[in-house]
Amino acid sequence: MENEFYTDEFEQLLKEKADQFSMYPSKRVWHSIYNNLHPSRRWPSVVISLLFISSLILIGYLNTGENSITRPINNSSIISKTDVEETFPSQKVNNKSQVPSYSKTVQQPEQQYNNAFADVITNETDFYTYTVVKSNRPHYLNTTTATSPDIKLTAETPETNNTDEDIVQTVNTYIRSNKIFADIAVFNKKSKPGPSKSSDNTNNITRKDDADELSLPSTDNAKISLNPDANKAKSEETKTAETKTSLDPKINDRDITKEEKAWIENYASENKSPSKKWKSRLGYQVYVTPAVNYRKLTTKVKGSATPFANGDINHSISQKPGFGFEAGFGLNYAVAKRLQLKAGVQFNYTNYNISADQASHPVATTILLNDPSTGYSYSAARTSSTSNTFNSTASKPVTLHNRTYQVSVPIGFGYKLSSQNNVEWFAGATVQPSYYFGGKAHLISSDLKSYISEPSSINSFNLNLGFETYMNFKLGTYNLQIGPQVRYQVNSTYKKDVALIEKPYAIGLKFGLTKGF
Amino acid sequence: MTEELMLSGCLRNNATAQEALYNRFSPRMLGVCYRFAKNREDAEDMLQEGFIKVFSQMHQYRNEGALEGWIRRIVVHTCINILKKNKKFSDSIDITNAHSIHIREEMIPSIMQAKQVVECIRSLPLGYKTVLNLYAIEGYSHKEIAFMLDIEESTSRSQYTRAKSMLEEILIRKKIIQKPKKKTNFFGAV
Repeated sequence: MENEFYTDEFEQLLKEKADQFSMYPSKRVWHSIYNNLHPSRRWPSVVISLLFISSLILIGYLNTGENSITRPINNSSIISKTDVEETFPSQKVNNKSQVPSYSKTVQQPEQQYNNAFADVITNETDFYTYTVVKSNRPHYLNTTTATSPDIKLTAETPETNNTDEDIVQTVNTYIRSNKIFADIAVFNKKSKPGPSKSSDNTNNITRKDDADELSLPSTDNAKISLNPDANKAKSEETKTAETKTSLDPKINDRDITKEEKAWIENYASENKSPSKKWKSRLGYQVYVTPAVNYRKLTTKVKGSATPFANGDINHSISQKPGFGFEAGFGLNYAVAKRLQLKAGVQFNYTNYNISADQASHPVATTILLNDPSTGYSYSAARTSSTSNTFNSTASKPVTLHNRTYQVSVPIGFGYKLSSQNNVEWFAGATVQPSYYFGGKAHLISSDLKSYISEPSSINSFNLNLGFETYMNFKLGTYNLQIGPQVRYQVNSTYKKDVALIEKPYAIGLKFGLTKGF
Repeated sequence: MTEELMLSGCLRNNATAQEALYNRFSPRMLGVCYRFAKNREDAEDMLQEGFIKVFSQMHQYRNEGALEGWIRRIVVHTCINILKKNKKFSDSIDITNAHSIHIREEMIPSIMQAKQVVECIRSLPLGYKTVLNLYAIEGYSHKEIAFMLDIEESTSRSQYTRAKSMLEEILIRKKIIQKPKKKTNFFGAV
């Protein structure tokens, strides 16, 4: 500082007034400083987010209908249409519009039921498939006791407090939703001669030769039996037309509940012919994910007194997140209605920025390495032409880029959390074995004063984890997927002998386009 | 919280101590940044980066001299580094024909006292105000300024002379100061 500094009163005024001047910074500044100084404390929000996604997946899994098969069933409540009408005469008038459709549909001979489902249940294998998927269908279908093609209606008084309307509604809904066909068809399939592969009782489908009732769920307190005697004279054409009408999804959509619809979709999916199954389940995807790359530095020092051991090394380096991206191609296979398996190949570019000063000439420095045999740290001589901003006076500022180029094979899953119309919400995770085929690494020197370019220190192989949640928009034959993604590198970027441990992670927005085969 | 407690807490990376230190010095340091910056947002960015360096280098503070002075030097260096990354800065610092730059009347804020003076300083061209800030207010020598800004020492001197002349003109025009009749009476009522 020069001696003549305060000689001028004008300068003195300027200094006085400038020193008096102060401003209060906004809260944003401190929050940014805090986040920079304590990056680890941002992790709770990430953990909470992951827990939230996991919880959603768990809830979704538990609500797939598994619970329905465990509901208690009361088989003793059997009612017939006649008795319904006799016992609840008020419903006779109110439900007239529904009862005819019920009668038209269900009063078919055995062969018609089989024809109606000929495209669904075609062979013995399908029956066994059906028995497997049956656990997912609405609970009231799990207690079918269909035995005879001679269907008649009988009735008993309901045991519970359900209203008359509830019972009649349940009967009508059940019949009009075509589930009754499935039950009867399954029963008929089952009664055909052929090799038996499994226990007939495992899925609560039983044949009682002496009975002629087809039971409804006990929770609805209704069980019906059907008598087609009066309608046997109907022509085959009329029957076929009625059957088709009753199977028309547009008509049934009015009455089919969400649970029933889900079961129908699942049933249809499970019973497709094997040759078509894989095509409808398999899709391919191209995607790109622009991302912001962050990193967490730690040290692995043994027996060394270098500044490496003093405090958090992240605070000794002026570093900033950088932009990167990933792009890839993958295949999706729907193993279940909600679950997809994924595999593919992707390219990743990661980048992280370090603010440094360019030295006028290279200087001698050291890098801290660990002896693989003893684990003790030692300094190895290197040269550097860039210095740490924190430890140098202002010079020529430069930005160093720590980059990697990777090829990964992501393998994982996607789980559908919810869907509505043409929009679906997924959450997923992938494990990504990665090969690093290039990049740049600027490592801080032992004395924290310089940066050393050491690209050979990058591990060739590493493991990354990807977590994502995305919205899937159905656009005709294509699906557009958009959603946030977090990619975390499990092992250090650098080889084991480097005393510096870098764990980068990237937060990005994934854009994907999927098409089925 | 005493200065010693703050220092020891900051050395332990204690968030409470860091916040206390920040709350104590940030208003004045933002004033420093504001004199160098184009606007308040830029000043806050400079302050943020400066305090990150302060906390990161806290272990280097030797209790020699006032803590505020030490923090101030880091903040000023940060401001200069940020300015140097801006291309406009390197262009403006080479301006030699200072007398041809005209300050428009509406650029001069009509506020009082300290802020009035600071705003007048800020209305100077970037190169001028940087040299003036460093020399007249922060107390750096022309030699140090020349090193910091990568310019010749003579350039720093000439820039300062022109900056001072221009600022004087602005302050007189805004009637913040009076034309000096005598050297001791230069600032009139101030």
